[in-house]
Amino acid sequence: MIEIRIHGRGGQGVKKSAMLIARAAFLNGYKTQDFALYGAERRGAPVTSFVRLDKNKINTRGYIFEPDYIIILDESIDHEMMLKGIKKSTKIIANTKSHLKNECSVDATNIAMKIVGRPVPNIATLGAFIKVSNLFSLTDLKKAVDIELHGKKLEILKKNIQAAKKCYEEVKC
Amino acid sequence: MTKNNYNIKYKLESGTKKKIEILDGNQSAAWGARLARVEYVPCFPITPQTELIETIAQWKADGDFPGIFEQVDSEHSVMSAALGSAATGARTFTASSSQGLLLMHEILPNVSGCRLPMVFVNVSRAISAPISLWPDHNDMFAVKDSGWIMVVSETNQEVLDSVIMGFDISEHEDILLPVFVNMDGFVHSFTREEVEIPDQSVVDVFIPKKELKVKLDVDKPKSLGIPALNEYMDFRSQHHKAMLDSIKVIEKCHEKWAALTGRKYDFFEEYKTKDAEDIIIMLGANSTIGKSAVDKLRKKGKKVGLLRVRVLRPLHESLLRKKLEKAKRIGIVDQNISPGSSGALFQEVRSALYGMKPKISNYIVGLGGKPVQDKDFMDIFDDIKKGKEVRKWLM
Repeated sequence: MIEIRIHGRGGQGVKKSAMLIARAAFLNGYKTQDFALYGAERRGAPVTSFVRLDKNKINTRGYIFEPDYIIILDESIDHEMMLKGIKKSTKIIANTKSHLKNECSVDATNIAMKIVGRPVPNIATLGAFIKVSNLFSLTDLKKAVDIELHGKKLEILKKNIQAAKKCYEEVKC
Repeated sequence: MTKNNYNIKYKLESGTKKKIEILDGNQSAAWGARLARVEYVPCFPITPQTELIETIAQWKADGDFPGIFEQVDSEHSVMSAALGSAATGARTFTASSSQGLLLMHEILPNVSGCRLPMVFVNVSRAISAPISLWPDHNDMFAVKDSGWIMVVSETNQEVLDSVIMGFDISEHEDILLPVFVNMDGFVHSFTREEVEIPDQSVVDVFIPKKELKVKLDVDKPKSLGIPALNEYMDFRSQHHKAMLDSIKVIEKCHEKWAALTGRKYDFFEEYKTKDAEDIIIMLGANSTIGKSAVDKLRKKGKKVGLLRVRVLRPLHESLLRKKLEKAKRIGIVDQNISPGSSGALFQEVRSALYGMKPKISNYIVGLGGKPVQDKDFMDIFDDIKKGKEVRKWLM
């Protein structure tokens, strides 16, 4: 089983990121589980979301204490808190301008600003996640976006996928 | 929003066409109601039930939901409207959580006392004060004396199935009692997992539209729920009898549903309990985590198991005793507390097992959604192994 924990703030697409990963994996034959944990729903408040993927039935649920992957969408949240439960094998993918040792980093907000025109880093960062995890492809992400964000402007979605591609290429580990 | 946000993808499995989608608990409940062709849904939103109502509202806006969908001014009004609707014979469904459910309380025994069928979904959330948005079961246990049939689910598939099965049980002419289906907030309501959406034709065969023999009709005026001062106890006795009689109806319902879908439910789910000496008894979504602890301990050769209470009312006591005949030590895990006493499930189960041998302990966990992990359940198994009867809180 692969466990993924995503940290960010309300409005950055933390919940949607988990949904997109789960959808892309589901389309690839995985059993999936995704959910988000938040308080009162408001922009800017810390939000955590979770994904579990397995080829077999997933026999647990709830909070992920020891993730295999941590995706950081907002570096202004307490770093130590976000890295809680980290294992030796845990891979960290951070949306950040600075590059920390033992972490994969990409300036997804900046890339999203340039390509999409809005500082929404979630789909862009997933491009980096795909590169690091190799769990599914950018094409799968596009399919997942088409389903999960059905009804949003196609132009915007297309640009988000372009941003993801850019992050896929630029992520540094 | 545009149509099709909750589109179903088709997937071929062993030659049969199954509709498999990743749905969260709220969407699963909404699908249950939609497939049951519910005719009236009064509602008032409250976290974590909101998405359930939103899903039906979206279908209504898209023209995919032919029933009447109505937002009223409070949960008290929701349950009152649901009572009125059910009394006219319309298939009625609604949902709430926590304080919303508490505000409905005055009406709950009116619905069951009038012997009106309906299905209600509670998305468990801790009760105030202080305010929490996350799950525990104090809201649900407050309903246990209200005369409703109560089903507590663990997975999203079970939520969907239980809503549909709920109408079959509720509308049975010997029963005519409302059914309460519980799921946990967040770890269940907001958790998406694979769910098979039954075909509409299957559900139509399973729960065809039934006409109530006694209902409110403007052309044939009558009263319902009138004073019965001298006969009150007779009514209560009949209510209690219907609840006990529902055991047979629920058994039959489980069999019919299994024949149609291959999914067999029971009053209690036994997980590796057959030869178990130490058993955890619990209910709700966290049971999945408890089972994972059982798996880990079984690998080490420990004789442990988990029994999940699924049908809380009627509590099938004789079956429960039978299933626990061989247990030596039992730990009852409660995600609720009756302050000054103990966990509510502990009270229920220990009373049902009166006179039997096992040592029975009580563990309070996960209040207000405090996260639990398999390690916690392994600690509980370690603790009950000591053979003492204890009451503890896992803080």
